[in-house]
Amino acid sequence: MRSKGKSAIEKVFSRLTSKDAHSGDFLWASPDLVYVHDVLGPMMLDSYRKLGNPALRYRGRTLFVYDHIFPPKDSASANNILSMKDFASLNGIESIPAGEGIEHTLLIERGDIKLGMFVVGSDSHTVTAGANGAFGAGLGSTDLACLLASGKTWFMVPETILFRLSGKFNRFVTGKDVILSIISKIGVDGANYRCMEFRTEGRAHLGLDERLAIANMTVEAGAKTCFLPPDVSQEKLIEIQSDEDARILEEFPVDLSSVEPEIAAPYSPGNVKHLSDLQGTKVNQVYIGNCANGTLSDLKEAAEILKHNHVREGVTMIVVPATRSIYSKALELGLIKIFLDSGAVVSPPTCGACAGLHMGVLGHDQVCISNTNRNFRGRMGDPTSKVYLANSYVAAAAAVEGKIVNPQEVF
Amino acid sequence: MSRIFVFGDDIDTDVIAPGGYLHLGIEDVKKHCMEAIYPDFWKDVSKGDIIVAGKNFGTGSSREQAPVVLMELGISLILATSFARIFFRNAVNVGLPIGTITGPLEFKQGDDVNFDLEKGELIRAADHKAIKFKAPSGALADILSEGGIIPYTLKKLGRLPDEKR
Ligand code: SF4
Repeated sequence: MRSKGKSAIEKVFSRLTSKDAHSGDFLWASPDLVYVHDVLGPMMLDSYRKLGNPALRYRGRTLFVYDHIFPPKDSASANNILSMKDFASLNGIESIPAGEGIEHTLLIERGDIKLGMFVVGSDSHTVTAGANGAFGAGLGSTDLACLLASGKTWFMVPETILFRLSGKFNRFVTGKDVILSIISKIGVDGANYRCMEFRTEGRAHLGLDERLAIANMTVEAGAKTCFLPPDVSQEKLIEIQSDEDARILEEFPVDLSSVEPEIAAPYSPGNVKHLSDLQGTKVNQVYIGNCANGTLSDLKEAAEILKHNHVREGVTMIVVPATRSIYSKALELGLIKIFLDSGAVVSPPTCGACAGLHMGVLGHDQVCISNTNRNFRGRMGDPTSKVYLANSYVAAAAAVEGKIVNPQEVF
Repeated sequence: MSRIFVFGDDIDTDVIAPGGYLHLGIEDVKKHCMEAIYPDFWKDVSKGDIIVAGKNFGTGSSREQAPVVLMELGISLILATSFARIFFRNAVNVGLPIGTITGPLEFKQGDDVNFDLEKGELIRAADHKAIKFKAPSGALADILSEGGIIPYTLKKLGRLPDEKR
């Protein structure tokens, strides 16, 4: 039986198609915004050529971002960017100047991804749009080429699972821990093909940076898209979020005050343990930064730990502000100096070693603790390397001791 | 005849197509496909072979190199108990046949099989034992039968792939 109310994602697809869309429907739609990065871009251009280079249907709604391998590490990656820039200028696509930052964080910061929008990108972490009250979904390169050429792409309207967050964060606990604990509960395919929608209740509140951390990793539970409540009026929120009588597949209460620092051990973001279970695990690299956790909050958290400490000998610590403006603010606040003085390396905004691309790729048997989002085999480099995923406090504390410790111990 | 390669649960796109080689193009990615769990996969696999896996196959990235590299190495069908969303979508779009099975699987690595996409049936050559699989239906089946979303879109746009440009 169909309920009267609509879920948030049903509202979006109803708007896009001017029809009454329900979860499970198969439909063709035109997203509000498309963005493409430098790893999938060249493949997308190949597909576009196979389509006969038709006139672009998405002018004004397409952005090219050069963030994955920027600054280019070799001529192949430089040529990839050049080919995209050429295509962009020929076809009237906006190219975001390289070096501005990592796409998912940057496009929210720049105001491209707005409340209620439906955006698609050449990247699975396009779900991060949910942090700003928008709906994002990742697509492949051929898909995007066909969308740019024909103006439409296919979707199944997903079902919704709802997370009701209450309570307040404990010390040294962040959005990262919330999403890790949710993934450990529902599994790495617990939200496959679904929309993960969040509500905050009572005293619970999530700032943008916490929402970025949570939204970003919903795809690690398989989510197609997600929605978190941004800081807007209650009326606006009610308009966008699921109606009270909408059909919700499952509901989960999450008491923030019961969340502890969590760590995903190799080789799955779902292999989640409490910090206390992994204390003493030796690490030789610490990585702070990516599209979810290269925020100013993350840099502040890491700097809080490093302020009176030094990176342990034999450990490499790499800090990557997600955007130029975050970098600039960190500079003003003296955070960059704290990192440099403590022995960390500061990189320009880039995806870098998060996906094993450049700027900190791991070697044989190296162990890294990182505040990024994936720890698959070989994710950050050599197939024998290992990655632990944690929040920025926990990662920075490990840099000080060369092993996983409770941040309280080095604070 | 096709040979079966068996993989477990949650085979991710970093294992299928490691990030460090993507910018070099598919020929380079080929030599590293599955290397973290099966270093010689690219040498052992041959045209027409089949992958059978557990749940959530293709979890992770949107990199289309994942289904493409498997296709380029000769994989003609992937069966899994479930697929991660973007991998599923990409496979359909590039025209790589996929299907879902209900586990547990009784066929082993190296078994020779024949398959019938239309019937959704995999038959072991040795004893003619058959298992059923569910291929995509509706519009997705149309996209697959056209050979992927490029030929499908060209048809929609009113131009055929072999037409002179
Ligand atoms: S920072 Fe990492 S997860 Fe985010 S878009 Fe870049 S490679 Fe992907």
